[in-house]
Amino acid sequence: MIVTNTETIAGYHIAEIKGLVQGNTVRAKHAGRDIAASFKNLVGGELKGYTELLTESRRQAVERMLAQAEQLGANAVVNVRFTTSAVTAGAAELYAYGTAVTVQLS
Amino acid sequence: MIELFLVLVLIVVGFTFGVWAEQRHLASLASREAANGLFLVTQLKTFPGHSPGSQPPQIVVAETVVATDYFKTFLANLRGLFGGEVQSYHSLLSRARRETTQRLVEQAQQLGFDAICNLRLETADVGGSSASKKSAAMVAILGCATAYHFDCSNAGSR
Repeated sequence: MIVTNTETIAGYHIAEIKGLVQGNTVRAKHAGRDIAASFKNLVGGELKGYTELLTESRRQAVERMLAQAEQLGANAVVNVRFTTSAVTAGAAELYAYGTAVTVQLS
Repeated sequence: MIELFLVLVLIVVGFTFGVWAEQRHLASLASREAANGLFLVTQLKTFPGHSPGSQPPQIVVAETVVATDYFKTFLANLRGLFGGEVQSYHSLLSRARRETTQRLVEQAQQLGFDAICNLRLETADVGGSSASKKSAAMVAILGCATAYHFDCSNAGSR
């Protein structure tokens, strides 16, 4: 599966558009991470716990999106976008969406 | 009195560790940016200089969450009273963006690509950053781009 966030794929042409595919997830970190983060906010530095949280959420959302694309019989997803929203403290919603297409080598 | 003392201690701690963390991060960013100086990063929607017949392009995604420190929060609160540019948070955002870009570049390199296009950086919402006003600011940046093979001799093409 070719996944890009561009509208086209260099070297390929889009043969058929299958439609919108999407995946979302809401994930939270355990309270220990939240407490560690509040300490980190005193001394500065990267909040690795929350970076990890975003990475995990993004992977899961993309996985769900790709599962949908596979169901539609697509071999590529183009113009993938991500958005996030804060549902509640310590939880992140990540939404990934793109257009499922079939591409051919041009 | 004790409370005032505690705040002073936190400001000193925040200042010392905050400056140290920031300097370390900036140094690491500078060296990585210098090392990856030749890697082509664009935010064009096309594939400038794509080398034909190479492996298909692939998306790369990276995220960074950077914490503020007590000293910065204190400065920002002070700024909130008088208005004006909040410089302490300005550096926080730019650090997070630069870090995300470098991570994208490094990911693309690991996958064997030599350029990225259509770079998009956005601020992400991790609950707590803006959900509640009480908690301190933190900056989350989500970046994505498409990695592809670049060919110098083809540099003019799109």
